[in-house]
Order: sequence, then structure tokens, then C-alpha cells
Amino acid sequence: MTTGATALTVDLQGDPATLDPGRQYDTNSYDVYRNIYDNLLHRNPQTSAIEAYVATAWKAVTPTEWHFTIRHDVRFHDGTPLVAADVEASLARILDRQFNSPQYANFSAIASVKATGPDTLTIITSRPYPVLLAQLVNLSIVSKAYVQAHDQPYANTHPMGSGPYRFAAWLRGDHVTLRAVPAYWRGRPQIDEVTFRTVPETATRVADLQSGRAQLALGLTSDDVKTIKRDPKLQLLGGATERVAYLAFNALGPGPLRDGRARAAIAHAVDAPSLIQILLAGYARSVTELLTSRHFGHDPKIPGYPHDLAKANQLLAESGHASGLTLVFTTSPTYDQRIIQAIQGQLEQAGVTVRIQSYDFGTYLQKIQSPQHDWGDLRYGQWSCSCLDADGVIYPLFHTGSIWSSYSDPAFDKAVDDGRSTLDAAARRAAYSIALNVLQRDVPAVPLWEVVALYGADRNLHWHPTVDEQLFVADMALGQ
Amino acid sequence: MGRFMAGRVLQAVLVLWAVSTIVFVIVRLSGDPVALMVPQGTPADVIAQMRHTLGLDLPLQVQYLRFLAGLARGDLGTSYVQDAPALPLVLQRLPYTIELTVAAFGLALAVGLPLGVAAGTRRGGAFDRLALPLILIGQAMPSFWTGLLLILIVSVRWHLLPSSGSGTPQTLVLPSITLAWLSLATIARMSRSAVLEEARRDYVRTAHAKGVPPRRVVVAHVLRNAAIPILTIAALDVANLLGGAVITETIFAWPGMGRLAVEAIQARDYTVVQAVVIVGTAIFVLTTLVTDVLYGLLDPRIALAGAPS
Amino acid sequence: MPAASAARGAFPPGGAPARRRRRGLPLAGNAGIGILVIVALAALAAPNVAPRNPLAQTLADRLMSPGTRGTHGEVFWLGTDGLGRDALSRLIYGARASLAVASLAVACSGVLGLFLGLTAGYYRGWVGAVLMRFVDIVLSIPFLLIAIAVVAALGPGLEHTVLVLGLTRWPRYARVAFAQTLAGRSREFVEAARALGGTDVRVMLRHVLPEVLPSIVVVGTLEIGLMIVYEAALSFLGLGVQPPTPSWGNMLADGRAYLATGWWLATFPGLAIMVTVLGANLLGDAVRDRLDPRVR
Repeated sequence: MTTGATALTVDLQGDPATLDPGRQYDTNSYDVYRNIYDNLLHRNPQTSAIEAYVATAWKAVTPTEWHFTIRHDVRFHDGTPLVAADVEASLARILDRQFNSPQYANFSAIASVKATGPDTLTIITSRPYPVLLAQLVNLSIVSKAYVQAHDQPYANTHPMGSGPYRFAAWLRGDHVTLRAVPAYWRGRPQIDEVTFRTVPETATRVADLQSGRAQLALGLTSDDVKTIKRDPKLQLLGGATERVAYLAFNALGPGPLRDGRARAAIAHAVDAPSLIQILLAGYARSVTELLTSRHFGHDPKIPGYPHDLAKANQLLAESGHASGLTLVFTTSPTYDQRIIQAIQGQLEQAGVTVRIQSYDFGTYLQKIQSPQHDWGDLRYGQWSCSCLDADGVIYPLFHTGSIWSSYSDPAFDKAVDDGRSTLDAAARRAAYSIALNVLQRDVPAVPLWEVVALYGADRNLHWHPTVDEQLFVADMALGQ
Repeated sequence: MGRFMAGRVLQAVLVLWAVSTIVFVIVRLSGDPVALMVPQGTPADVIAQMRHTLGLDLPLQVQYLRFLAGLARGDLGTSYVQDAPALPLVLQRLPYTIELTVAAFGLALAVGLPLGVAAGTRRGGAFDRLALPLILIGQAMPSFWTGLLLILIVSVRWHLLPSSGSGTPQTLVLPSITLAWLSLATIARMSRSAVLEEARRDYVRTAHAKGVPPRRVVVAHVLRNAAIPILTIAALDVANLLGGAVITETIFAWPGMGRLAVEAIQARDYTVVQAVVIVGTAIFVLTTLVTDVLYGLLDPRIALAGAPS
Repeated sequence: MPAASAARGAFPPGGAPARRRRRGLPLAGNAGIGILVIVALAALAAPNVAPRNPLAQTLADRLMSPGTRGTHGEVFWLGTDGLGRDALSRLIYGARASLAVASLAVACSGVLGLFLGLTAGYYRGWVGAVLMRFVDIVLSIPFLLIAIAVVAALGPGLEHTVLVLGLTRWPRYARVAFAQTLAGRSREFVEAARALGGTDVRVMLRHVLPEVLPSIVVVGTLEIGLMIVYEAALSFLGLGVQPPTPSWGNMLADGRAYLATGWWLATFPGLAIMVTVLGANLLGDAVRDRLDPRVR
């Protein structure tokens, strides 16, 4: 490190699992390797619209065939040029079942991918796949020659991409260091060196900011807001995300929530705006459906479920629970327990007794994904598909037979099946409108709020968090 | 001695095999790692396919035989989460746990022993009256509380020392104090008791009558006799490699083996959990063996009585 | 660890010190009993002693520092937590989980260990050897792993915490029972009783058990403090007593999230653990000095 060079330390909540972009689906890994590799496409930081990046142009020549044009001035860190064959290899390895990529499901609709020239690529899907572009925003491009020349353990620990930062060092469990690439095709990054530290304790991340040990800390909570704001050296950065918090019901199980009226009663008994105000210090946005306004397929006319205790009691009486109701709230320590317990408290006021059952995350998933639907009555979650599309949210959450779904309705199934089988935007919107109205009527889940991610940073860090929560250090600047 | 060693080595191998088998079964009963690795929304058939590729849908006996075959070769499989061979992953983290444990034990000894001896030689005096309650209180404090308090006061309030990571000597301070706390108190108590014991002996009175400062005599004999109990504590501290160090490493984000174990358990990373337990057990068994040999050397009566079985 | 050295304990060659025989326990032991009695009474009488319902949430009174007055005029002596629940009341109710687990765990592991160790020592031979090898194996498995496996299979909670502790602590008792059963005096009793025609079970119960019991009691009282800490550790990791039921361990876990914003949440539960464990340790040491100083 030469003097005068700017260095940034970022405190992450956990370790990167591996730095090979195809071998895991882990936020901490992505936060780091996002800076080492280039992705095929990019979202505009302000509008979230999909824009050209490594791919400069694209066209769906038929509903199942897409042609892409690749930039010709991108180079990998070892000097070799990035060509269409590298994009083909990046996708092909994910699609290879033997490679066992956790990202397979995001690209499984792709039947074949072929580099038709040094800078042209053809992707053929097995059915019309409207979410293809959104998924390609998350495709990091590896060097075909590099991954073929080195075995997997080496590729995991010595990542080589074309991004604004090159890999410098990694002490597993502790930190990863990256150095800027001066000749990066989008321009030299302002920050010369970035170190990502693993700091699982929130209080420690805050303390690191205060002591100057770190200049950016992820994963702060609303309770840390006061501490950050009180310190003149620090600033609080809040960014809207595409994550939506929700309360899901077991509509297929043996419990009382088989009855739609009971579900509607719970929906009206919960007071989401109050929780936002008090628990989240206002750092969240109310939603009336499980999509944010930025999601494709969002219908602004869906009314949602306003807090109304009288209506809740009336619905409870109608469904035969006038004298009270006991429900099991299944959860896991990974979720914010303040919210779970606060919801429990709110439901008590409507005469609903809630018993909280917590399992560690692996067991929790096993239980709620079991086809027996005997996991309890309520569960809280946050959903994001990293695709800003209704297909990635309501399809897996509510389609009959999906492992996440404890709900079934043929009209809903047809609507979301229609929504994903055409590229025509207008037709898709109409289908999702139908689907969302079915959900509004049946209440398989209560949308709570759109999550706002909170970051603490040094006052001299210039950065705006993006909706896709990508930590792109090349967009950051440190200085007066 | 040769028969003794052979017997113990055989026992060690047996213990290792039994422990690995128990861990193998327990870990597989605890759930599916693949569901934890994939994005939300991944359909069931994709998850099933991934499990198949990893060999996780094979019958338990087949998986076990593969595991044993690998164990014999020194291959403990590949981590599902970190996508790297499990045994090297664990061995890479081991030195950090050793560093922490050695630092903690060193601290406990360097502070606890003089503290206890000083309290014992000044029995009933002001120092002793102050030290003994402090020691008793120290023994009653759970390590995770001590750690949190240290973070709260030293890092969060005063910004004096870092409370995460490793690499610089400053990062070692808080975690080793936390880990040392209990051992320190125990060593202090024990050395105090040992001093009190020695002070009663006839030769002390004789030395006093002769004009030799009793303190020096006591200290020389105490240290010799305290060696065995201290060795006991050292052996127990090695057991801490997988016990107390786990929570300390977690709270302070120390990149050691204990924290790796907790994260692997939570992620159902079978191979890494197996590797950690096997390595940890091997260390424990080895330490026990070494301790027993040293006991035999230090106290001839044990060796003469025949090898304890 | 060889059984011989485990039984030798902290005292150097020369044997245990002579002590003046007194009735009852020395001051420290009585102080220990006193602390435990106070904690136990508070736990049993919690509904009468605690000022408020430990589960009552007042979101408007979140994270009040100790001694402040809430929106309804009441004083929160130890402050409130992230959901506006009274920390003092939760602390008092939390004593229930700690003491319940500690006493049950000691009882279960003690009985199991006593039975296994006694049997192994009585029959000697290969039964004893196999059992003691089994003891080594159980001692080699990390406590945390068993805990999570049991929780994954059965679900978390107080009962399962007791189960996990019972399954992992019995070797302590078994070792002592084994060594004691092998030791001289019991051996003579046993030979004599058998010669006189007693069945094995009767001889074990009438002659060996009384010899072994004092040492087991000593181990048990020494273990109480440790069980309190382990219960807290498991709850701290989310595996023990489940929220919203308070336990000192899960209160500490909560406090961990609020280190910068609510220092009292991490301080008082730890203090409670410390005081109770101190009481248990004082009692345990006094009992040991009185009954069997050789146990370590």
C-alpha cells in the first residue's frame, strides 16, 4: 500500500463461503466477489431498470431464443480478453448438474447457450422465460480458460475475474482483501484497496465504525440508528430493498387457519404500521401486497388489510372462534425475534393466544417444507428473489405443490402459470393482477412491509445503497 | 512402559473410531444441508437432484462405508458450504484455536499462580482477604458473560481494543482474557490451597527455627507439588479446545476451529462437523496420553503402582 | 484421565488435612446455602415477588434504562428490554429455568452415573473396562454437538436441555462411583457379604452404595453451578428455554444484540448467574471438605 492510497474496510455479518461465483448462493460471498467479477447485465441504481453492461444489446428473436452482443473491450485480470465463449462457459457450468451449483434453479429454464462469435451469444430457453434478463443481472462471468486450467479448490480460493478489483488475500473466517484494477473498462475505481472483515456481532460492527476500524458496516438494526446519528463522524445510510416481510398462514394444515375467515381475522388484527413505527424506528415501508412498487407485476390497486380489531373479532366470531383461538407460531432464531414477539402481543389483543415454537434454521426449513403441512399455523419471513419480478415471489410462495406453499387455488395457479409462459409484458401484468386479487381474497399471507436495509458509514464515504443490495465498491468514494 | 503405550494407542484408535461413528450418525439425523444452500424458491426436484449428486440419498450404510474408506485414506470429504476439502479446512483453523488456548493458559498461569501463592503466604492478611473473594467470584462468572462485558466496556464504550478478528496482538487480548478467566481463578485457588498445605509441614517450622525464610522454602516446595494439579488443569484446558473456546471464538469472531464447528453445525455441513470432532478428539486423546505419561514421570508412585487402566 | 489421578485431587502427597470435626458447615458453606435458598424462594414465589408480568409487552416503553419511569407511571428498577418487558420481573422468573434445569440435570446424570459406575466397579473385569472406555468416548464428544443434534431431532426446550445435560454429565459421577467401588473398604464388605450369601443387587445396595454415596453427593453439589452455566449457554445459543419464556441465558442472548443501546440487558442476567453459581460453588466446596476431600 503506497501512501496516499485510499483504503476502505467493510464489516460484513459473516464469512464468504467461497469466491467462485457459481458454487454458492451466499450473500457474504456475493458482497465480496461482486467486485472481482463483472456481471452480464446491470440495474440502473436509481430506476432499477435493466441496462447494458458486459452485454451491450439483446433481443428475443422468438419467445424462446435470445441473442446477446458482448462488449469487446473487457479484459480479465490476467490480461486475456473477455469473449462470448467465457459467458457461455459461465452459464454452462451452472447448468451442469454435476457441478451442483445452488444457482441452478435460477437458470434451469435455459435449454442451451452458445457463443456464436467472439462477441455474440445465443441463449435458447425450454419455455418462454420472462425472468431471464433479471437472472442474468446476477450472472458473474468467469474466464473459461482459467476454470479449465485450475481445479475447483484453487478456483474457489484464487478468484480471477474482469471486475474493478482483483483478489489479493483471504484469511478464512477473518477477512478478504481486494486491490483496484487501474485499467478497468468503466474507469479506475476511486478506492484503491478494500478489506471485507467478518464481524458477526452488531455491537462490534458499530464500535468498529466509531473507532474508525471500519468505514462501512452492514446489517445494522433500527436500534442502532440513535447511536450512529449521535456520532458526528458517522452517517446512517438507508436503502429500500426488494425484500418483503410477510406473515404466512398454513391454509392446508390441520389447524384453524384452514378457514379463510380466520386468516382474514389475523390479517386485520396485525398492526404493521405500528410495528414499523415502534420496532423499526420508521425504517420500513408499508405494502399492501407481497411485491414492492418496483417489482414487475405489482398492482397498485390491491387494498391490503388495514388494522381493524373490530373486523378481526367479527371474522373470528363468524369462523366459530368467538371465545378465543390458539395458534402455533413457528420460527427460527435467524428471524428478528422482536417482530415475532410483537406480533404475538398484538394478536393477544384480539383474543388470539399464540404459542411460539422455535427451531434452528435447518429443522425449521424441513418442517415448513414438508408436504404434510403440519408445521404449525403462522410463520414470519422475508422474501426476495433478487429478480424484481412477481414470478420469483408469488409463484414459489403460493403455487400448489411448491415446497414453500401451504395454500392451493386453481385460479391462482393458472394465473401465475400464464404469467410465466409469455414474454408479453401487458399479458403478464394482467395475469399477475388476477393472481394478486385471488391472494387478496384468500389471505394465504399478510404482507407486512418492504424492508429498508440500514448501513452505518463514515461521514466521508459517498455511496447510495441500491435496491438490489449489491455492494459495488467501484461506486463508492472516500474523501472530503 | 511399552505395553502401557501400546494399550493406550489401541484405546485411542478405538475411541476415535467410536466418536466418528457416533458423530456420523447424529449429524445425519439432524437435517438436510442442501435446503440451506439454495436460494428461496428453488423447487423440490432441484434440491433432490443436488442431494443425489452429493451422495446424500444413498442408504446410511453405504454412506458410512464410504466415510470409513475415506477416513482410512485421510480424506474426510468436502465441505458443502465452503467447497473445499474438510480436513485441510479444519487444520487451517486449528493453529488459531491453539494460539488462543495457549495465550489463555499462559495468562491464567502467569497471573493466577503468583496471585494464589501471594494470597496463601499472606494468609488472613489484607491481600488474601481481598483476593479470595475475587477468585471465588471469578470462578462463578460464565465465560460468555465475561466476554460480553469486556466487549461492552473495553470496545464499545472506550474503544480501547478491538473485539473481533485476528492478526494483531491487540485482537488476542480480549478473547484470551475471556477464555483465561475461569482457569485463572481455579489456578489461583489451587495454588493458594497448596501453599496453605505446605505451610503446615514440619520442615517449614524447622526451617523457620533455623532462620531460613519460610516463604522461600514454601514457594520452592509448593511449586513442585503444584505441578501435578496444574498439569490436570492444562489437560482440562486442552479439552477447552472444543468446549469453552467455542463460545469465546463465536463472540469475538476469532477464526478458530470452535467457531468453525458452530457454523458448520448450523449449516449442517456434515463433513466439516465430522472433521472438527475427529481432530478435536484426536487432540484430546493425545493430550490425555501425554498427561498420563508425564504423571508417571512426575510421581513415581503412580508408575510403580502399575499403569492405570 | 486415569481414574487414579482423578481421585487424587488437588492435595499433594501427605493426604488430606486434618480438620476439627464440627457440626454443620463452615461459614462459606452456610453463605452458599443462604444464596441458593434466596434464589430458590424468589423462583418459587415469582408471581408474588415480581412486580410485573414478565411477558407483558409495552412497545412504547422499549429499552428504558434502569430506574426510569414508564408511560403508565411504574418504575422499571432494572429497565426494560427490546419489547418493553420489565427486566426485573424477567430476571426473577428466569431463576425458575436455571434452578429447574440444574436440579433435574444433576439428579438425572447423578443417578445414571452412580448406577453405571457402581455396576462397573462391582463386577470389575471386562464389564468395568468396557464401561470406562465408554466413559472416555462420551467425554470426547463435544457437548455442543450433542446439544444441537438432540434439539434438531426433538425440538428445543427445557426438557431437552435436561436430557442433553443428563446424557453428557453422567461420566463424572460414573468415574467417582467406579473408583470408590474398587477401593479397599468396599471391597472387603463385598467379599464378606457375598461369602455370607447375599445376592449381588442386595450387596450393592446395602453395602457399596452407602460408601459411594457421599462422594456422589459431593460431585453433585459441585456440578450444580456448572449446570446453571450450561443451561445458560444453551439458552444463549437459542437451544434451551425458548422465548418469550425468560431464562438467564436467553436474556443474555437478547442483551448481546443491545450491547450498545441497552447495557443493562447483558449485565443483570449475568450477575444473577454469577451470584447463584457462587452460592452453589461455596456450598459444593463446603460439602466436599466435610464429606470427602479427595474428590476434585
